[in-house]
Amino acid sequence: MNESQIDGAIITFFSTSSAVGKTLIGINMASELAREGYSVCLADFDLQFGDVKNYLQLNTDYSITTLCDTMKTNSSHPLTPLLATYTYNNISFQVIPAPQKLEEAYTLEPDSIIDVIKKLRSQYDYIIIDTTSMFSVLNLALLDISTIVTFLGIVDFIPTIKNMKIGNDTLNTLNYDANKIRLVLNRSDAKTRIDLQDVVRILGDNFYHILPNDFESARQSIATGIPLVLSDQKSDLTRALQSLVSKYTNKGYMSTYKDKSSSWISKFFG
Amino acid sequence: MMMHNIMLVEGNRLMLEQLSNIINNTENVKLVARYQDANEALGQGIVFTPSVILLDADHQDSIRVLEEFSRVFPNAAIICTGEKWHAESSSLYVNAGAKCFLVKPFSSDDLTEAIASFSNSTFNTTSKVITFFSPKGKSGKTTLIANLAMAIARRSNSTVGIIDADLQFGDMALFFNLTPKSTIVEAARDTDFLSPVSLNSYYVPLVKNVSVLCGTKEPSLIDRVSIPALESLINMSKNLFQYLLIDVPAGFNPTSIAAAEMSDITYIVSMLNGGYELQHIQRALEIFKCWPDYQKRVKTLLTRVEPCTITAQKQLADAIGYPVEGIIPNAFLEISDAVDDGHMALDLNPNSILSQRINFLAKKIIMNKQDDEDDF
Ligand SMILES: Nc1ncnc2c1ncn2[C@@H]1O[C@H](COP(=O)(O)OP(=O)(O)OP(=O)(O)O)[C@@H](O)[C@H]1O
Ligand SMILES: [Mg+2]
Repeated sequence: MNESQIDGAIITFFSTSSAVGKTLIGINMASELAREGYSVCLADFDLQFGDVKNYLQLNTDYSITTLCDTMKTNSSHPLTPLLATYTYNNISFQVIPAPQKLEEAYTLEPDSIIDVIKKLRSQYDYIIIDTTSMFSVLNLALLDISTIVTFLGIVDFIPTIKNMKIGNDTLNTLNYDANKIRLVLNRSDAKTRIDLQDVVRILGDNFYHILPNDFESARQSIATGIPLVLSDQKSDLTRALQSLVSKYTNKGYMSTYKDKSSSWISKFFG
Repeated sequence: MMMHNIMLVEGNRLMLEQLSNIINNTENVKLVARYQDANEALGQGIVFTPSVILLDADHQDSIRVLEEFSRVFPNAAIICTGEKWHAESSSLYVNAGAKCFLVKPFSSDDLTEAIASFSNSTFNTTSKVITFFSPKGKSGKTTLIANLAMAIARRSNSTVGIIDADLQFGDMALFFNLTPKSTIVEAARDTDFLSPVSLNSYYVPLVKNVSVLCGTKEPSLIDRVSIPALESLINMSKNLFQYLLIDVPAGFNPTSIAAAEMSDITYIVSMLNGGYELQHIQRALEIFKCWPDYQKRVKTLLTRVEPCTITAQKQLADAIGYPVEGIIPNAFLEISDAVDDGHMALDLNPNSILSQRINFLAKKIIMNKQDDEDDF
């Protein structure tokens, strides 16, 4: 028997609309946790068109396929040497990229992906998981094994809100602990004519955290391959991202950032 | 209202009674003659001058008998009846002179609907099927399909059907501000009992010549649309519309693959977002390249292209390494305003670049269909 092991937290980013920031925010959460000294693994389970490798400009042949194959042939083989590593300014974390070839994505079995995560979770403080925007077999299994599900939404126009509502209701039917699902609003002050209070009312839930819209910083981060929280320039978005991470590490509730962020948050919750 | 004189030919004695009852209970039709034996009907039926013949097609000789009826009753509309509709035999029936097919036993509504449909002569055999595939969600597909359907119908005076098979998060109903009574889930459930004519009533008419088969209301319902059912719905819909536009879930999945396989054209649609959209298109193209005729069948469309110019289109094609069939400008505000207000995102300013680009694409699709028809 193994001696008793400590499992790390699994934080999954999920949404029911595309392009709401799952990948960008997942990357920043992994980076910020690594910056604070935690051991972190970031997994890209947008298997067909994953962007983690793109957004981090990571060059590697390793992928989830390698890990699943290894688990199948020899389940006691250590997996960590098969992960890619992202490093910037001496801060680093491990990455499980999406498959190299799209056809691999189509044949990977959800069960073997879950096995990989179960095995890795004893070796990291945090495993951050990026997903696709649908209730697939894989995503449902990932939601199940997650410690926290960050359900991301944006408020741009009615169809997106309808999907957020459907997604939130469906998540509620899964009967997880009340604080497992965290509703996070991204791009909050983007141009829209929809009142946030109305959205909260429709959803029947308050937002756990709100991230501001900052298209230029986001674009630049993706263009340079450097996560916002690791770059020198600190924007409102960076601070709001760090404040979100602090809520996941129990390091006090945004006390350090209160000055700036409270102004636009109180606008909604004052 | 015009009165239709019906002659019923049915080999099964019990079914003959059952169908006679249904016909007698249907408005605007009159049962003028009924036969259990097809040869008797051929010999004697002419004295009753039927305008509609319901002909039992559940036997091996049905095509020959059907041809015989077409010859003897050139002025009557023949409806074949059978236990089950088969895509394969459907075109044989139509070629042999049938107007349409009804599954037995049909209802009064089915019969009325069938007669109405061929009175409008909508039943057709050549249909162009187009699937809209996107690597990721948020591609601008729904807006594109909706507006394209209108443009095609208007320009070519043809019938256009839209199937919202984006099973989890289909937005078509929302875009058109519809509250459909029946959706793709009910249609799929009933597919064994449906024929093209009865499927028609599951579609929601939108404007003249454009109808939508709406998507599911909740994601948990997706398992209820099996691939064989979807294929059957597509096949039947081909008999109802001259153009069939299919919206599918993002990425490669059984639904998107099945629809693409059955389509004459598959558009890969992607919205420019300053990220890795072009790489995603290339990645998707790699998969479609396993079709020997992919260059003819797979085309790319980009949305939110600014500036929306020929030069931009050429540059994008170069970057992808594959022709770009169409580009659509950023029309987020125009569209979201319309949708949020509960209008259809359709009556866009006809002079806007968006309208121009969509009309241009509609023209290409119409020309492509005519070219194909000329090949025969
Ligand atoms: N807070 C923000 N402010 C401005 N732009 C943002 C913000 N968050 C994300 N974006 C932008 O939104 C786009 C989509 O982000 P991202 O790729 O992370 O979304 P996603 O949810 O992973 O999408 P998909 O489901 O397609 O994988 C990117 O171009 C990103 O730069
Ligand atoms: Mg993503």
